[in-house]
Amino acid sequence: MKRAIISALALLMLSGGALASAQRVPPPPMTIEMLQAEFSARTASDTVYFVGNSHGLNANTQQILMAQATWLLSNPSIRARIEGHADERTPRDYALALGERRANAVRDFLVLQGVPAAQLTIISWGKERPVVAGSSEGALALNRRVKTVLMR
Amino acid sequence: MQRLNLILAALAAALLPAAASAQDKPATVVIVPPLSTPENVMTSAGYSGVIARQVADVIAADLRSTAELMPLGPENARIYPYAESTAPLFREWRKTGAKSLITGFVQARADGRITVACYLHDIPGGRELARKGFVVTPGEWRRAAHRCSDAIYAQLAGRPGWFDTKIAYVAESGLKSGRVKRIAIMDSDGTSHRYLTPGGTTVLTPRLSPDREKLAYVSFAGGQTHIRLIGLNSNDDRALLPGNAMSFAPSFSADGKRIAFSMAINGNTDVYTASSDGSDLQRLTATTGVDTHPSFSPDGTRIVFESDRSGSPQLYVMNADGSALQRISFGGARYQSPAWSPNGDLIAFTRVGGEGLRIGVMSATGLNERVLTRGTLDEAPSWSASGRDILFQRAEGTRTALYVVSVDGGDGRRIVTPQDGSDPHWSTSGGGQ
Repeated sequence: MKRAIISALALLMLSGGALASAQRVPPPPMTIEMLQAEFSARTASDTVYFVGNSHGLNANTQQILMAQATWLLSNPSIRARIEGHADERTPRDYALALGERRANAVRDFLVLQGVPAAQLTIISWGKERPVVAGSSEGALALNRRVKTVLMR
Repeated sequence: MQRLNLILAALAAALLPAAASAQDKPATVVIVPPLSTPENVMTSAGYSGVIARQVADVIAADLRSTAELMPLGPENARIYPYAESTAPLFREWRKTGAKSLITGFVQARADGRITVACYLHDIPGGRELARKGFVVTPGEWRRAAHRCSDAIYAQLAGRPGWFDTKIAYVAESGLKSGRVKRIAIMDSDGTSHRYLTPGGTTVLTPRLSPDREKLAYVSFAGGQTHIRLIGLNSNDDRALLPGNAMSFAPSFSADGKRIAFSMAINGNTDVYTASSDGSDLQRLTATTGVDTHPSFSPDGTRIVFESDRSGSPQLYVMNADGSALQRISFGGARYQSPAWSPNGDLIAFTRVGGEGLRIGVMSATGLNERVLTRGTLDEAPSWSASGRDILFQRAEGTRTALYVVSVDGGDGRRIVTPQDGSDPHWSTSGGGQ
């Protein structure tokens, strides 16, 4: 009996889905990776960088984030996770706090540009996900970053 | 006996200059013959006579790792009958010239368990100084041996031993860009190694509760950084706090009743405490900026932590309710990840300066800063139970390993782990049975 109800429900949902897709053109089969690449291309970068222990957004960073905000506003169905990072010269716990502070600064800026807060989540990776290995100044600078990662 | 005397003389000659440079007093020589057994009986962990020898091996290895004590044996030491384990023939032992003697026995019991007893004697004075006895399952003989070592060290060196302690740390493998990290735990001599988390989720900063019943750690499970508690004798693994806030940097009070930690909310990280079950949450700091890495004083009345409220990370001390805040670090560097010593007098920290990250100590009031290590990425200090040594993490190239350095300085000693290691935490000694 229970099974019959579930089958009936499933059938109903399927037919509903078929109806909906018949009414509009199916979306192009964009993977999330392709979307991320498009996002990077349209906004100059999906990643912004920081100096020392700071979480400040300089003029160049703000310009990139404005472009990111524009893209996110025109793609309201795409959610974004703002991922904050610190370099390896930052002790572990402070790196987590710093990553959160950086991600939060980027999130706040995007929200000020009009992006709905509900479209954004933040996470701090601390120093757990360096994009470049090595201890050179250049490597450290590339790891002090916030990346806007698109999610469906 | 002749042979032992010769070895003793040679060792004393070789040891004295080294011991004198490491500290003022030469090492005390302790004879550790094999323990005896009243009857060599098969137990679930082998013959009682074999366990008796293994217990002596572990005690000798424990004492050998100290600066204060120099064990001789069990090789070549005089074998004595069971009756002498409580009443040694001191005139025989005096021929060795040694100061101290350890005797004892391992006895199988009718209920399947064993009794492990050890006695510490002063040879010149001909008297017993300390004794310890444990009734344990045969498989637990190693822990009984470590607890004998703790009692011996406490009596002879005048401070708590750390042999019956555990080291929790993060075992690392794989590429730097995506390290596989697992919480691991082992006895402080490297035995009884096991993993507590499977490796699919990034985990950080394990902290053992003082009773060793549970371990607090940080997990990225579910897309949010949060503190979890894992039962060491159960399959229990749960979030410390309800809700979805970012929490990290856990640290138990010495009585295990409270946990201090950080929560980050809207770009502002503060220090909080809660009961070890997650209830009774209290916010201790409310300043803009990062307040993190809290560590309780051993009496539980105060907390040291790092804060960048002045512009750069520095160390601050406050009462455990958040009152009476005081900055204690004023040197020309960043001072981070503080750890309060078990004696209460010192605070270890990570100093971030031009040379990189190094481990140092200062008094609990911020005086007499000393840098102890010479690496470029040394961090995460954790005290030994004796307050004599500091365990820390050192990164070199693509590898990360655990090291121990004496609070007096000197070269660090690497702790062998099966994989790379980071975020070490050294438990207090004793713990539950």
